[in-house]
Amino acid sequence: MYGENGAQMRTELAALLRQHRIMRRLAEDSSVERAAAGQQILRFRQTVLVWCAQAIGVARPLTFPNVPQKPADPFRAATDHGAAVAELARALEAAREQATTRPASSQEFTTPSANTIVERWRLAARAVALAEHDTAPDQAIHLTAAQARTIAGDVAAISQALVVLDRRYRNTPGWEPIAGCDRLGWAALATALDVSLGQPDYSVDQTGWRPRTKPIGGPARPGVLGVLQAEHNLLVRLAAFPDAMNLRLVVDSQRLLSAGLVPYAERIDPDLAGQWSARAETYSRIQRELRNIGGRLGNGKAAAGEAANAVSRLKALRPETVLEPRMLGGFQTLFRRLDSRITDILESGAERGAFVQRVTVPRLVNGDGRLVHPVRERFVPVARAADLDVIRTAREHLRPREEPSVSSPGASRADLHAALIHRPPAKGAQSDVLDL
Amino acid sequence: MLLPHAQTLAQARSYVAALADRALTLDASSAYERALLELDRVHGDECPALDAEDLADDRDILLAVASNAIEDLESYGIDPLSVELILAMLVDAHDLDIG
Repeated sequence: MYGENGAQMRTELAALLRQHRIMRRLAEDSSVERAAAGQQILRFRQTVLVWCAQAIGVARPLTFPNVPQKPADPFRAATDHGAAVAELARALEAAREQATTRPASSQEFTTPSANTIVERWRLAARAVALAEHDTAPDQAIHLTAAQARTIAGDVAAISQALVVLDRRYRNTPGWEPIAGCDRLGWAALATALDVSLGQPDYSVDQTGWRPRTKPIGGPARPGVLGVLQAEHNLLVRLAAFPDAMNLRLVVDSQRLLSAGLVPYAERIDPDLAGQWSARAETYSRIQRELRNIGGRLGNGKAAAGEAANAVSRLKALRPETVLEPRMLGGFQTLFRRLDSRITDILESGAERGAFVQRVTVPRLVNGDGRLVHPVRERFVPVARAADLDVIRTAREHLRPREEPSVSSPGASRADLHAALIHRPPAKGAQSDVLDL
Repeated sequence: MLLPHAQTLAQARSYVAALADRALTLDASSAYERALLELDRVHGDECPALDAEDLADDRDILLAVASNAIEDLESYGIDPLSVELILAMLVDAHDLDIG
């Protein structure tokens, strides 16, 4: 997730910004050791630069300058004045290309260092390497303009930190300053200001790469955990589109499961028990309405199997079993996702014609010249999804309500900004300096 | 599928569905529902629509007519063993229903 990796790199850079008198920290007296540590830091920094250039490239097409647009002059080529993001992208690209150091290898990312400064650089570079997943073009197509602006702001702050650190490390033997360091610093500042004119959307932290959800394999877990396992696997298996009959089996299992869990939930959370009986009602209704829906596209045998597992394991539970609130929460989360997935399946199935409506009265065709009259049609395609009762029920009752997501800038952003303008404490506070 | 077959099947489905709707417990309703699904599966999901409205409320009558209609399916070339299995499922569901 971008939030985790972004927070990690900002935390490490903020910690590095708070460390002064670098030479002593790199190595006590040996200039050779200092040079070696410096080279390693350079490689880590190059990795950070590479990511910055990549991320700003992803955010750039979606960010617009806050400069009011002048009426276009047809006799002049379009000018891009005032677009700070473009300038930052150019400066980062130049810095990346002109550097002679190669980015760190993955072996370096994973080998801890005894030196605290090198170690912090390593952690920052590792977070950056992971963040390349989150800002890769295939993920970035889902970004909104406000989210892209947030990424541009983050890159600006990190570039600013790189510039400050570059100045501080200049006396390291064999150090290679960032090419166009001043320009990069000013462009980063302008970008940060430009971003702050708009309203950044911090929900970008929730986007990015996530590991694939896998079914929980192995033998059935004992007790309630087995039910949770089967329910989780059902959700994973439903990623494949089920055919109408298997969907009916899944729907049937869900109403049995919801109703069966109500007595367990009632002892702990009567509210939740109420919600689950309502869910069982909704599924009963959907079950009734699905009887007149057919369709053989899709598969869903694995999903139906897991659904049956969940129900049979629930039935095997002893009635006096106590479910912890955590398990109830787990069920609630799974139920919400399943409800939303089943609604999606119904909607898309009706839309693309995978689900068809059965015909009520078989039509007898007269005068086709044959002695035996076959039934002419058994199914009709659904003209409009909203015409189906089941779709209406799913939309109104099954689809879980959107939970408002609270997105805040997070502590790490504020901390990095504070560290950028941080001043070393006065000489008197020696203990503090040593502490840092 | 010929018209009389489709009509018998539609009747059988309607009666089983009516039984599922009128079952007293959720478990019994689900058992009827599975009998209905089995009926659909035997026909490869090529079934006419059902209409469970305006049918009798008495579950014994419904069970009798449902069993009749399912038995009739045998004369349209449905495998007798499948028919017997569906009938057995129906009886099991009914046992659950009367508790």
